[in-house]
Amino acid sequence: MQLFEDFEPEGADAAGAAGEQAPALGGGEYEPVEGRDRQSIECQRACESVAAKKTASDYSHIVWAYGIIWALFCGYGILMWRRAQRLAADVEALRRRIDNGK
Amino acid sequence: MREAALSTLPRAKNAPMRLPRQAWLLARNDLRQEMREWELVATAGFFTLVVLVMFALAFATLSRDAQVLAVPGMLWLTVAFVGALTLTRIFDRERESDTLRALLAAPVERLAIYLGKALVTLLVLLGCCAILVPGVVLLFPAAAPLAEHPIQTVTLVVLGCLAYTSVGTLFAAGLATSGGKNVLLSVILYPLTTPALIFALVATRALIENHPDFSKYLSQLAALDIVLVGLSGWLFESVLVGTGARRAPTTRRRRG
Amino acid sequence: MGRLFPVILLGVGALTLPYSVQRVFLDTPIERTMGTVQKIFYFHVPLAWIMMLLAVVCGVAAGIQIRTRSERAEATAIAAAELVLVAGLGVLLTGPIWGHATWGKAWTWDARQVTTGLLWLVFASYVLVRHFGAAGSERLAAALAIFGAVNVPIIYYAVKIWKTTHPDNNVVGSLPPQMWASLWPALGGLLAMTLGLLWARIRLERAEIALDEAWVGVEDAPQEA
Repeated sequence: MQLFEDFEPEGADAAGAAGEQAPALGGGEYEPVEGRDRQSIECQRACESVAAKKTASDYSHIVWAYGIIWALFCGYGILMWRRAQRLAADVEALRRRIDNGK
Repeated sequence: MREAALSTLPRAKNAPMRLPRQAWLLARNDLRQEMREWELVATAGFFTLVVLVMFALAFATLSRDAQVLAVPGMLWLTVAFVGALTLTRIFDRERESDTLRALLAAPVERLAIYLGKALVTLLVLLGCCAILVPGVVLLFPAAAPLAEHPIQTVTLVVLGCLAYTSVGTLFAAGLATSGGKNVLLSVILYPLTTPALIFALVATRALIENHPDFSKYLSQLAALDIVLVGLSGWLFESVLVGTGARRAPTTRRRRG
Repeated sequence: MGRLFPVILLGVGALTLPYSVQRVFLDTPIERTMGTVQKIFYFHVPLAWIMMLLAVVCGVAAGIQIRTRSERAEATAIAAAELVLVAGLGVLLTGPIWGHATWGKAWTWDARQVTTGLLWLVFASYVLVRHFGAAGSERLAAALAIFGAVNVPIIYYAVKIWKTTHPDNNVVGSLPPQMWASLWPALGGLLAMTLGLLWARIRLERAEIALDEAWVGVEDAPQEA
């Protein structure tokens, strides 16, 4: 497995380099806003919606998995508690029987 | 009858022929009874036939490619069904006249009892396979390679049945002496014998497909047989007789 | 001490588990290919290890039981087998949930999935025999547990050759250190909780065995007098 942090998308360095060069151009005068074209924005939104769906699905899977683990352990605990109750009742029955026998 | 058989057993301790001879004498005794009544072979053989017909009816229309995958499954599932039936019947007989307890009290090696019973079960199972394998070959054209390599087929069937028998005899005998319910035999036997049956299944598929790995699978199955027979033989005495001193409670109470 | 020990273990578990959940979700980076859903890993894998450990504990305890007729070993075998079922069910349910999110398919007949399933069946049959078996079937059940423990590697290998195209997985060996650091608290917490339950169940079973013997003693007493 790999961590997400270690992953560097291609072109990240190039973008960083371009960002460093940008201030050298600028002076006090008019500077156009460097907007992104429509196509790349739509592409980004599409990626974001895929990512959002994936995250939502991941969360529901995780919640189910964790819920099941805890439910199982709790269920076993309850079973054991009931067993202990029955055992205590049985001890009581034995005690009564011994007392009656005397 | 059984007492007469026991009295013929050699009493000399540590004689080298003791164990195999005892096992053979015990098995021969069961086989003689079987030769008189033909109960086991008749019922188990008929059951094999019925299962075979049912499989044929269910899977007659399978394509040849699918048959290659289905035939090994049918073969070993039938062995598992027939094996459970045979084991139940063999030890029911012992239970009816309580002879197993008498046998355990007799001066016989416990391992010999195990080996004798396992041998009888194996022979009955192989008898059923003598119906099963030709039947499968006749009904399903894809199984033809089984008939083309008779030596490999016989070795495979013997090794597979041995794996099933070795585990089955131990637990059937244990259930017979503990007075347990027979339904538990299937509960125990099917999960435990699954790995052995998977090995047999894979080897059968390899044989049908003429796969070069067949001999490798066969030798692995043989190794598994050794492990299973060894482990069962080692546990047999402890399961049937018990070794320690603690008195087991005669009944477990049900609470609530 | 015997009474306190399970409480201590359960307490350790109760403290460690929230810490490990916090670590897993907030301090561990997200895995690159599987994304957030990989977080199931931190509880799924330790649970699988614990299941294997308990299967071996059950087999060894059954071996001791069959040799020495120790009631302590008998109680341990029963308790371990029941917890194998609980942990196994956890593994068998979270595995497909993870698989569904990652591979898009819940059950892929992966060698380890099938192995876990078959092992679970063996221990389920052990619990059934213990529960419904007649008197004297405890040695039979012990043999079943020993076979079950011995079967673990055999089943794994059998399933591997049965499915020759299984995905080759050596995930756990190559984990980055941050993931290991989050795996340990999860393992520790789950282990403490399971051992606490195991210990409590052993005590309960031993109490039941003692009570059975007491009943037998009481019912025999008038005949002796």
